[in-house]
Amino acid sequence: MNTTPRLLNRLVLAVLGLLLLAAGAAGLAVLTLPAVASWWGSTAPRVGGWIDRLRRGTTLEGQSDTWLWLALAAALLLLIVLLALWIAAQGRGRTGLFASVDGRVGGHSGGHSGGHSGGHSGGRDTDDRDTGDDGTAGSVVITATAVEQALKAALLERTDLAGTSVSTWEVRGVPGLRVRVYPKKGVPPYVTAAEVSRLVEALDVVTGYRTPVLISIRSGARVRFSRAERVT
Amino acid sequence: MSPDPLDRSTPASTARLVRRELYSSRAVASVVTGVLLIAVCLVLLFEAILKAVGDAPFLLDVEAAAARIGALPGAVPPSLLGAGSVFLLVLGALLLLLAVLPGRRARYTIPDGRAAVVVDAEVVASSLARRARVAAGVAPEQVLVTISRASVRVQVRPTSGVPVDADAVRAAVADDLQRSSVEPAPRISVVVAESGVIGQ
Repeated sequence: MNTTPRLLNRLVLAVLGLLLLAAGAAGLAVLTLPAVASWWGSTAPRVGGWIDRLRRGTTLEGQSDTWLWLALAAALLLLIVLLALWIAAQGRGRTGLFASVDGRVGGHSGGHSGGHSGGHSGGRDTDDRDTGDDGTAGSVVITATAVEQALKAALLERTDLAGTSVSTWEVRGVPGLRVRVYPKKGVPPYVTAAEVSRLVEALDVVTGYRTPVLISIRSGARVRFSRAERVT
Repeated sequence: MSPDPLDRSTPASTARLVRRELYSSRAVASVVTGVLLIAVCLVLLFEAILKAVGDAPFLLDVEAAAARIGALPGAVPPSLLGAGSVFLLVLGALLLLLAVLPGRRARYTIPDGRAAVVVDAEVVASSLARRARVAAGVAPEQVLVTISRASVRVQVRPTSGVPVDADAVRAAVADDLQRSSVEPAPRISVVVAESGVIGQ
């Protein structure tokens, strides 16, 4: 449900894996194959000489060493920042806003707003923000907490659930609900799915939005140590 | 087509939600890899700055290391070079497999008109175990359900002297699976143990 960059993760892991494989294979080849070892023995000094010439060529007057070290440092710093951004991008996408409608869009009573937010998801939110201040009578905001609490309160009444958690996430530009329920041992998942689905439909009626919902029926430590539902 | 303006859920977004729940995002592997790479980069950055200002190396002498790599396979003992190379190979293969394998989680999806529904395999197994236990008339400890993507295996240890109707167990399990309509539908096999146990 989060916006973890899955393709990027796999691409980076694949590139790193290939690099490590190549390094390991090269090490083994130098160790075991005499031909490769002799080739490397003749190539390495030439590479070393090339690097030495490069260092001499880039050493400024009055300096002891090349400025390439500083360039290398800058490149490494950039790489570190990119890696930190990559880590920070994992598991993002939680949102605190369930819905927001400004007064003007609401004033046109449904029919008009259907025309401009029909096709493209995500357009609605930006439209609302852009037109939020010019001559509107007011705006309506439903925070995510309100919806989460409502659904959670309804789920807590069920005795066949050992635990629940509801959170709101950005799904393709619109807020969506993630409902995690932990049924007690032996509760048929189709019953849980149908009941939670019915509650979600009731929530649709209450909020007026038909939002993307993920119902995740899970098992966990809390369930494993709970007693089984005895009524059959 | 003129959808309800407040209808923000589409079949495509529901299918996407299900797909993303069924497969691993590789977030953990990515974070671990990222942290390790940042550590390596920090050491190199430090050494590069020391070189730039003309100080002595701190942890790693970059020039000496480069010279050693140039002198391979002479400069390091063969056993160390071999072990290091194999380690790199294994690590590289691991990362490549993480990137290429689908990383399917032990979950199923239940078709639903309103929401995307995914179920942990453990929840399905526990529901099947209850149905099988009731159909066989045995205690909970006498039923073991193993569930995988393609098959469900129900093992029943009957109470001594009380025969267990394997077909009834199979029918109950099939009924429960069919009601859940988990996708993909697994194959069912029921195994009744030869020897019974003393019942509760």
